[in-house]
Amino acid sequence: MSGLPILEVEKVSKRFGRFVALNEVTARFEAKKLSAIIGPNGAGKSTFFNVVSGAFPPSEGRLKFQGRDITGLAQHEFARIGIAKSFQITNVFQQLSAHENVRVAAQMRASRYNLLTPRAALRDLSDKASALLERVGLGALQHRPAADLAHGQQRALEVAMALASDPVLLLMDEPTAGMSPEETRVMMDLIVALAAERTVILVEHKMKLVMGICERLLVLHHGEFLAEGTPDEIRANDEVRRVYLGQG
Amino acid sequence: MEFTPSLLALQLVTGIALGAIYALLAIGLSLIFGMLTVVNFAHGAFFMVGAFVGVYFLGVTGNFWFSLVLTPLVVGAIGLVTERFLVRPLYGRGIDYPLLLTFGLGWVLIEAMRVLFGIEGVPSSTPAALRGSVDLGFGYFPKYRLFLIFATALVVLGLWLFLEKTRYGLIVRAGSRDGEICKVLGVDVARVWLMVFGIGTAIAGLSGVLAAPTRAVNPEMGIPVLAESFVVTVVGGMGSLPGAVVAGLLVGVVFAMTSLFAPAYAELSIFVLMAVVLLVRPQGFFGKAGLLG
Amino acid sequence: MRAVYEAIRRHRVAAVLALLLVFPLLMPYHALAINILIFGLFAVGFNLLFGYTGLLSFGHAAFLGVGSYLTGIAMVHGGWSWWWALALGVASAALAGLVIGYLAIRTRGIYFSMVTLALAQIVYYVFYKAERWTGGENGLRGIQVPAVEVMGLRLDFLDPVTKYYVIFVFVAAALWFVSRLLASPFGAVIEAVRENEKRAAACGYDVARTKLLVFVVSAALCGLAGALRALHLSVVPIDSLHYLQSGQAVMMCLLGGMGTFFGPFVGAAVFLTLEDVVTTVTKHWMAVVGGVFMFFVLFFPAGIWGTFIKRMERAVRA
Repeated sequence: MSGLPILEVEKVSKRFGRFVALNEVTARFEAKKLSAIIGPNGAGKSTFFNVVSGAFPPSEGRLKFQGRDITGLAQHEFARIGIAKSFQITNVFQQLSAHENVRVAAQMRASRYNLLTPRAALRDLSDKASALLERVGLGALQHRPAADLAHGQQRALEVAMALASDPVLLLMDEPTAGMSPEETRVMMDLIVALAAERTVILVEHKMKLVMGICERLLVLHHGEFLAEGTPDEIRANDEVRRVYLGQG
Repeated sequence: MEFTPSLLALQLVTGIALGAIYALLAIGLSLIFGMLTVVNFAHGAFFMVGAFVGVYFLGVTGNFWFSLVLTPLVVGAIGLVTERFLVRPLYGRGIDYPLLLTFGLGWVLIEAMRVLFGIEGVPSSTPAALRGSVDLGFGYFPKYRLFLIFATALVVLGLWLFLEKTRYGLIVRAGSRDGEICKVLGVDVARVWLMVFGIGTAIAGLSGVLAAPTRAVNPEMGIPVLAESFVVTVVGGMGSLPGAVVAGLLVGVVFAMTSLFAPAYAELSIFVLMAVVLLVRPQGFFGKAGLLG
Repeated sequence: MRAVYEAIRRHRVAAVLALLLVFPLLMPYHALAINILIFGLFAVGFNLLFGYTGLLSFGHAAFLGVGSYLTGIAMVHGGWSWWWALALGVASAALAGLVIGYLAIRTRGIYFSMVTLALAQIVYYVFYKAERWTGGENGLRGIQVPAVEVMGLRLDFLDPVTKYYVIFVFVAAALWFVSRLLASPFGAVIEAVRENEKRAAACGYDVARTKLLVFVVSAALCGLAGALRALHLSVVPIDSLHYLQSGQAVMMCLLGGMGTFFGPFVGAAVFLTLEDVVTTVTKHWMAVVGGVFMFFVLFFPAGIWGTFIKRMERAVRA
């Protein structure tokens, strides 16, 4: 592996009461690579995602972003330092329009506590939101309330919102969950395009989806990393096949 | 005034008797909140209704024990009607709506008592069987207040047995706002919520009839009580029954001891206690971190 | 009709102010009109936190009361001029908002309502006990404002119509400020926090700090209402600080329409007019208002103005 790792996970454990969801996992992610965390359901993928995206701190271990220790940083700091995420269960501002969803996500970089100037004056934020929505295919629907969008469209909205803060690292939790095959294809194409510009880390349990596009895979099982490597290496790995036998 | 050990001990027991009432109130609140995620802003009003109904039954039957049993049933019945027709329609909406409704209900209940019993309130006295004092060794203590402590302990024990040992109690303990677990157990969620609301308000009514001999019974008596119940639940941890008991006793003792040393600040002291708990441990002594704090 | 509605929406501040400007001419008597102005502001301040940010506080009487008391105390005990006393009232209420807000925001959801009620009761008891300064149970008396001097003009504050328009100036400024705030970038953040806290945090917004800032602004607005009330009544009743007063703010907001700009004003007007009318017919005012409130919670949660707006929006979009 060459270059400074953009994200380092050092001996991270996460316990919920007596249940150990993650057990001393260690991993390094290179910049500008498309990686995926895969594993069967219950492997701890969501927990890993939540720790790495700042939803809650690890019980033990350290998290480093671009060399800087970010363990225990508050959730809102993550987006500010350049880590954005899209949720597994769609989590947008339901009553706001798609456009406003993205616009307010983009506004974070520009202005948080300005009480007096009209936000309509912040034209470039509005333009940025429109551009992002076009990119994810929601250009025509941008003035509809998010609640009115179909499931797949809401997932696309999630992605647009994550991109709005100009993240260096994009974390996506099961981005194709609940999508039709056509929607899935569109999303995967988008992800590949995004991975060319920034680091993308996916969490997925559908192995077939990520095999073709990812440069690196890490297999999680019972809260520990079972294997990691290129898709070919993982495909050839006996343990992984055993674990996944009969599954996606 | 000389602060002898026996004086302090007596005041401590006074605090525990006061705390018993607080504990009951907090238990009722926590039950309703834990199961329905509803903060009953009419809780003080139900307490007040219990006091009035208790005094009424005592007057009509002449028997304190009758009134002690009948009052919670009557108040609980009002609670059942409230849940079924006023609160239930609001579950689908935001969490604030049942709270708002119970707040309005409190106003109606206060006025209802004014209409039924007059704005001055009614006189209340200690039932004959429980008059007099008992020698505790370090001093004489009113028999009735001792009874309060035992009665509360009995109720807490009974509730504990119900929750831990019965199937219905299991459902109540396991239930969450979703009702998922209830559905799996094949239980009608709506019926469980109805019963819990009834039980919670019945306990509030019981605390009212128990407290009646110790204070003035008037339509406004529940107003400060609501705020005090909130203090107890914040200190103990909302949704926690052990928390309600421990915090109730603690708050009662703090109030009583402050009354001894700095009587002007007694009411204030318990609110300050709450503020400190909020600073140091926002979820309360027994509350779960992150869930509510 | 549609064009009129659109015009009103775009210039909502001007529309509201225009209405309030002619209001005294429509009202049967001026004391009611002045009360509506003051409590309308109280409800608007409360609405900022409740309707727009989604935080149901039951302690806002603390800010109304602190505004009233500090203004009164400065004038009665300190001999301050009304203008500086008012400024003190507003600043004190904002400070109270900072302290209470900081403690209350450490809790979530429904817990928040309980905690704000209890914390505000602290303020009630403190002011109740501090008899030397506040008059205790009897309230603070003797706040004299015979005249208001503005640019050489001497206005007779004791004349109800003049009083209305002086108070109106302050309320107008406050409403203008609220409108700007709602239209500002911060206004968008408030909306986001109300809609989905988790999401707002993931976007990078400090939810706790945002809430606290709204809390302080809300408290300051309610403090202004309180200060104006002290000047109007010349006394400060101790009940201003009680949670029943907080409950009134909640009721007015819901009756009128929370989360709308004009709703709280409508709510205040309806509430106070109803109180005036009902108390002449029966003394059981509490039951009537409690019953009406429950009715609205059950069947018209959007409130009078809120429901009207919804219907208009639907008609406009159709």
